[in-house]
Amino acid sequence: MSQLLQVVELCKSYRKQLGLFRQTRVQALDHINFTLSAGQTLAVVGETGSGKSTLAKLLVGIEQPDDGEIRLSGQAVTLSNYRKYNHVIRYMFQDAERALNPSQKVGAMLDDVLRFSTVLDRQQRQQRILQSLQQTGLLDEHINFFPHMFSAGQLQRVALARALILEPKILILDEALTVLDPTVRAQIVNLLLDLQQQQGLSYLLISKNLRLVRHISDHCLVLQDGRVVEEGPTEQLLDRPQHPHTRKLMGLS
Amino acid sequence: MVLLDIRNLTLELETSQGLIRAVDRVSLSLREGEIRGLVGESGSGKSLIAKAIVAVLNQRWRIKADRFHWRGEDLLQLPFDQQRRIIGRDIAMIYQEPSKCLDPTATIAEQLHESIPTDGLPGNWWTKGRHKRKKAIALLHKVGIKEHQAVLDSYPYQLSEGVCQKVMIAMAIAKSPKLLIADEPTTALEASTQAQLFRLMGSLNQLKGMSVLLISNELDSIARYTHRLSVLYCGQLVESGDTARVLAQPLHPYTDALIKSVPEFQPDLQPKKPLFALPGSIPTLQHLPVGCRLGPRCPNARKECVHTPVLERKQHHYFSCHFPLQYKEPR
Ligand SMILES: Nc1ncnc2c1ncn2[C@@H]1O[C@H](COP(=O)(O)OP(=O)(O)O)[C@@H](O)[C@H]1O
Ligand code: SF4
Ligand SMILES: [Mg+2]
Repeated sequence: MSQLLQVVELCKSYRKQLGLFRQTRVQALDHINFTLSAGQTLAVVGETGSGKSTLAKLLVGIEQPDDGEIRLSGQAVTLSNYRKYNHVIRYMFQDAERALNPSQKVGAMLDDVLRFSTVLDRQQRQQRILQSLQQTGLLDEHINFFPHMFSAGQLQRVALARALILEPKILILDEALTVLDPTVRAQIVNLLLDLQQQQGLSYLLISKNLRLVRHISDHCLVLQDGRVVEEGPTEQLLDRPQHPHTRKLMGLS
Repeated sequence: MVLLDIRNLTLELETSQGLIRAVDRVSLSLREGEIRGLVGESGSGKSLIAKAIVAVLNQRWRIKADRFHWRGEDLLQLPFDQQRRIIGRDIAMIYQEPSKCLDPTATIAEQLHESIPTDGLPGNWWTKGRHKRKKAIALLHKVGIKEHQAVLDSYPYQLSEGVCQKVMIAMAIAKSPKLLIADEPTTALEASTQAQLFRLMGSLNQLKGMSVLLISNELDSIARYTHRLSVLYCGQLVESGDTARVLAQPLHPYTDALIKSVPEFQPDLQPKKPLFALPGSIPTLQHLPVGCRLGPRCPNARKECVHTPVLERKQHHYFSCHFPLQYKEPR
């Protein structure tokens, strides 16, 4: 069986201005390889600047890799078929409160996503909207709510509904859970685990909260300066970290 | 010796809809040399309490307390400037986002020098500058910064958040405060840097006898570093006591829920199994429930809960709940 997501020798560098005339290149991602199958969670851990968010940006197609390939079910994706594949990989915002337009009702916001990316008619869109609200534990009448009318936990559910409405196969959670308060986080974690079980959704979890990584993920990659320095099944990796950098991230040295 | 002894602190905000009680009769005490944790979700009033202690709440707030003692002196009875002088001398505070608290236009050296009190330095006025520089370097070493010169010459934006937070601590301890209040000091930091900072505060506590009030929304991240713990929910104190004791045997349903929601505290919970989660979320100040504020979310709520529970005590363990979880005698 071909993997749902396969990343092969992925590279990305940025030019960085040093003063007026000097530039250097920063290798944000350096020959990254991994696979993710349906119903699995892959965690990516590393310090700020280690390349985690760059990886997320390449996967959702906001930026293009310099080299290497992203394959979905065996098919290489390119920016030209972005519209097609942006359904498959979706991104959940970290700060739902700031990411949502405060003057737009939730229903209209979700409708925009559908109008931009699908050819569904009005009625089909309405159906999808209600379905995604229901999936995330919200109510039909929330269509008419503005973002400020929600609590923090509900807003995170709205962000999740927005990510799920295109029925993706992979969801990227870039520190989306880290900022939540513990009781709200527990609710969202349960919702995510549930969705994974029911629908085989896959997650790419980017988080500095290693307790969360341990609980949710199956496999884990440790990034340092754009390179994978250690990887393995999460439990094994966190129980017996081999690389000094992993140990450092765990606060062991 | 008891440093801080606050009884029934109430903080009310004047708004167009009338007075809103953001902090409702919270008691808090801190002994010399103690590290106390103050835990609660965002909006539970942690920062307000901290600000009340260092007297930086603005005029819109009404502060009431049956007792507000700092080293035996009732601060609320003192004239404002005298209150400020005592607090300025004895208490220091650090915040969540260090890079935003430092002045972006001045070097670390300038800012650090400014925080070093001139009175305590030896020598006369023309040697004081040299002593100040020495002291600044010593302070940086104390917070674990070895490349002192590079850091001193830098502007805040050139440094990582972790280093900025260490600098903030260096500035805070420059006057050798008796109490350091750290308001979510590590939220913006990497896990590895978080551990470093907690260890740093722990060693300052041990070596200097400095007390620390450690504020966080995450129980697990501070439990390990504190002697005693106070848990807030929505402006009310729900439970307090020895950290180990509270964790081993929570009496309040909210503390219990917090503990159960953290996978680390649930060694028997298999990966990917649902976490314990209270339904709903913390109410806003505009929609506070009457009585126990946990009521609408509490699994044990009954009709008595529309009356605010009073703080009760079992040995050194305090809780405010009409139907506490089963109490077992400590072994
Ligand atoms: N200046 C202010 N004006 C109005 N409400 C405020 C103000 N400061 C804090 N609050 C409210 O008081 C409550 C407690 O706030 P805070 O102490 O900052 O909580 P925490 O630090 O526990 O997150 C919150 O509901 C907050 O919205
Ligand atoms: S007083 Fe009632 S509502 Fe409040 S925590 Fe106790 S049982 Fe729950
Ligand atoms: Mg706060």
